[in-house]
Amino acid sequence: MTKPIKIDVWSDVACPWCYIGKRHLEAGIAALGDDAPEVEIEYHSFELSPDTPLDFEGSTVEYLSRVKGMPVTQVEQMLQHVTGVAANAGLDYHFELVAHTKTLKAHELLHFAKEHGKQLELKERLLKAYFVEGGRVNRIDQLVGFAEEVGLDGSAAREALESGRYAADVQADIAQARAYGIQGVPFFVLDGKYGISGAQPAEVFSQAITQVAGEREGSAA
Amino acid sequence: MSGSQVADASSVANVASATDASQGADASAEAGPAASPFTMVTGDPSAMICTDDVCFIPGADWSA
Repeated sequence: MTKPIKIDVWSDVACPWCYIGKRHLEAGIAALGDDAPEVEIEYHSFELSPDTPLDFEGSTVEYLSRVKGMPVTQVEQMLQHVTGVAANAGLDYHFELVAHTKTLKAHELLHFAKEHGKQLELKERLLKAYFVEGGRVNRIDQLVGFAEEVGLDGSAAREALESGRYAADVQADIAQARAYGIQGVPFFVLDGKYGISGAQPAEVFSQAITQVAGEREGSAA
Repeated sequence: MSGSQVADASSVANVASATDASQGADASAEAGPAASPFTMVTGDPSAMICTDDVCFIPGADWSA
């Protein structure tokens, strides 16, 4: 039996292009239909903006203009563009609801979920919470709720978050990204060999996966 | 719009043969990090990435 093609993804919960890239990857795999090789996707932690305050009170426009010093018109244009691309990917972004915060606790929960076989479900839930619903992905009570929604044990999730048991795993992922020279996300690694940077179109993922599968067949022949 | 562009098949074919991690990034990988041990799939050069709070097209001077 052939080993699944491993797809490692460095991504942040607070990264709009990571959610779009996730959709494009999923679409790229789906487009291969019955011929799709088996893939195994694993998400890795990446903290885009470590200086983000834990609880910024205000809109995304206010955050980027006030804290980052970006012109309001540029921010609005940027968010409008992202929202449009997200819509094309089937995502209903609401930047007016987004609650800027640090994402380290969310990443800890993703490691907990990985250990319990629910990482993909939780990743989707957290991204939706952040970009669509305005969820506070740094607050343990909310994170426990998201964990329970995807079938994880809430008490165990709470214990993991309160103890910080996965904090070192999060930092290890971030350090690995740095060692790989990953400076922006999303960043995809196929089969440990091929790097794909950015929210590439679905076709790019389809073709890259097909190529990896073909190389495997070639080397097995 | 970057996310909806269809990648040119030839750009995907720009995947070179696998490199040894010690060889560093493929020279054709403009969008990839300089020290990447991976062979970069060029794909759509206008695909967006995020760094810090800014999302942009690598190599371009337009942020979005």
